[in-house]
Amino acid sequence: MAGNGAIEGDGGKGVKDMGVERIKSIKGIPPEENVLPGTPACAGCGGLLALRHCMKALGQKIVIVNAAGCFTLLTIYPYTPFKNSWLYTAMACAPAGAQGIRDALDILIKKGRLDPDEDLKVVVLTGDGAAYDMSLSSTSGAINRNLDFYYICYDNEAYGNTGVQWSGATPFASKTGTTPPGMIRPMGAELVKKDLFAIWGSHKPPYLATISPAHPVDLINKFKKAEQYNGPKLFIALSPCPPGWGIDTSYTVKLAKLAVDTGVWALKEAVSGDLKHTVVPKRFKPVEEYLQVQGRFAHLFKPVRQEAALNKIQEGVNEYWNRHKLLL
Amino acid sequence: MYRVRFHGRGGQGARVASKVLGTAAFLDGYYAQDFPLYGAERRGAPVAASTRISEDPIMERGVIPEPDIVIVMDETLLQDPLTMPLSGLKPGGIVLINTTHSPAEAKAVYKITAQVITLDITKIGLDMLGMPILSTLAGGVAARIVGLSEDSLKAAVEKVLSEIITDRKLLDKNVAAALYCFNAITPAKIELKTIDTNKKKSTVISLPFEPAEISSPAINATGNTPLRMTGNWRVFRPAWNYEACTRCMICVARCPDGCILVNEDGYPYTDYDNCKGCLICVGECPTNTLGKVMEVHAKKVTG
Ligand SMILES: Cc1ncc(C[n+]2csc(CCOP(=O)(O)OP(=O)(O)O)c2C)c(N)n1
Ligand code: SF4
Ligand SMILES: [Mg+2]
Repeated sequence: MAGNGAIEGDGGKGVKDMGVERIKSIKGIPPEENVLPGTPACAGCGGLLALRHCMKALGQKIVIVNAAGCFTLLTIYPYTPFKNSWLYTAMACAPAGAQGIRDALDILIKKGRLDPDEDLKVVVLTGDGAAYDMSLSSTSGAINRNLDFYYICYDNEAYGNTGVQWSGATPFASKTGTTPPGMIRPMGAELVKKDLFAIWGSHKPPYLATISPAHPVDLINKFKKAEQYNGPKLFIALSPCPPGWGIDTSYTVKLAKLAVDTGVWALKEAVSGDLKHTVVPKRFKPVEEYLQVQGRFAHLFKPVRQEAALNKIQEGVNEYWNRHKLLL
Repeated sequence: MYRVRFHGRGGQGARVASKVLGTAAFLDGYYAQDFPLYGAERRGAPVAASTRISEDPIMERGVIPEPDIVIVMDETLLQDPLTMPLSGLKPGGIVLINTTHSPAEAKAVYKITAQVITLDITKIGLDMLGMPILSTLAGGVAARIVGLSEDSLKAAVEKVLSEIITDRKLLDKNVAAALYCFNAITPAKIELKTIDTNKKKSTVISLPFEPAEISSPAINATGNTPLRMTGNWRVFRPAWNYEACTRCMICVARCPDGCILVNEDGYPYTDYDNCKGCLICVGECPTNTLGKVMEVHAKKVTG
């Protein structure tokens, strides 16, 4: 696919933000690896690729607070892929854990027991099950208190670690373990994906972004920009998941690109509520190109084409881009 | 009762293999149980599934610590200390290994005392299905070893697969491949004493309740996962031909595991100790510097 050239330009077209040094191409990606190989993540895990780039942007002076999910298994006793500190929490309370750590660091610095140079950035890392469903309440509280933290959600659109069950991030018509297409619901999942970006946005945090493992330049520049702001900073990474989405392990990146090129996944950021789309396809590809290559949507094409469901998905995408006056 | 344990890697189809075997046994009039070993489900990671088959109702539950038959769907698991697929295999039991080795070679290489049957199921899968998914094929060989009928195997593959795939052609190919495997092996006779009298002592131990700072694990190391060497997950390996390489660094940016390193001259190369063989790099390289080679055969060529 000709998508490779695109990454040279992604994120490179914006103006230089006040004093922020942006990278222009993948050659500018920091070479340092802060998530080492040998983890139990699936071969071809899109979320891991996104995390690898996030960690390049964040550096080593961080502490990760990780809610149960696939990525808590990255760190399994006695092994860890990280060079930084890491804490495991239950699914609903990673932001509460982050608050505790932030407070402890602040108190230690204030009392002179920790050199301010040794301060750490507090980073919550969770899947979509935690981010969209189970930890919404503790997240809402943390944003409301203007907790200074990063929240990275690798969104594989299901409860992946337990074998792919429906979550609030599962898109309409996706097949999961708990939304099998059948006689009553031939389309699979009936509900539409929640808009986590908007849920966060309603709390008016300083920085929000969506990111993609296939657009690392855009991803890293967003972290560079977010770094300037004190308070809650959200990053949602659409993360193709080979076993969950029914794709070959080699297809993750191509599919992540397709999600952007078809308009299914809008790459955007909002600084203090000021929304900007960072990668807008010149010509949107039909959403079908994205759907038909995934096992979780196979029932929309075989044995009979489910025209109504396919139209609903395309219309949802058109409606989004029309609303933002970007559909050409 | 026959107790069969399948060992494979996530995505290879061990769970479905155990289900095909259990379903075929049921259709042949036996009592049957099949189940995966529940754990985090992860593609490429070692997984196990089991089937019990009996003429009488089965009252046993849970994992099978002492199988009569072990099906090793991925040869590299034999050397994985965290898996140990042959553990508990009864003396006189049978192990089927998916390998290019002959039984005698496999016995020598892996120091196996049990009876060994070998078949290159991966090659059959690639030839007949076009992909290394071995569920129905492994179910087929297991059905033959256990002594089930060809008709029930065929019906079981139909039944199990029609619940998970809609592609009729792929389903037919699976039926053909399962029957091919069924007929490709010469089954050994299981030489077991029928009654197990020596009951083992309970393996359940009770641990004292400790406060969290003692009982919860703390890792006081950094970045040590490379010691786990996930390189043995691969079915195919990315292979390099540097003539066309422009050092564009696209492959480096695309590897989820950070397994592509860069040498002093700026050329990328693979960390084969840990590369899981997802092959994203092969598809992303804009210059055809990267290709793929099947793992077992690659080893044979280089000795
Ligand atoms: C309260 C609670 N319910 C259920 C679980 C079991 N559980 C562990 S991981 C997981 C899946 C989490 O899904 P998600 O947050 O999307 O992360 P993913 O596994 O997809 O990476 C579940 C349900 C749990 N740990 N805690
Ligand atoms: S199940 Fe999906 S998200 Fe989880 S480790 Fe595997 S590929 Fe990654
Ligand atoms: Mg998830």
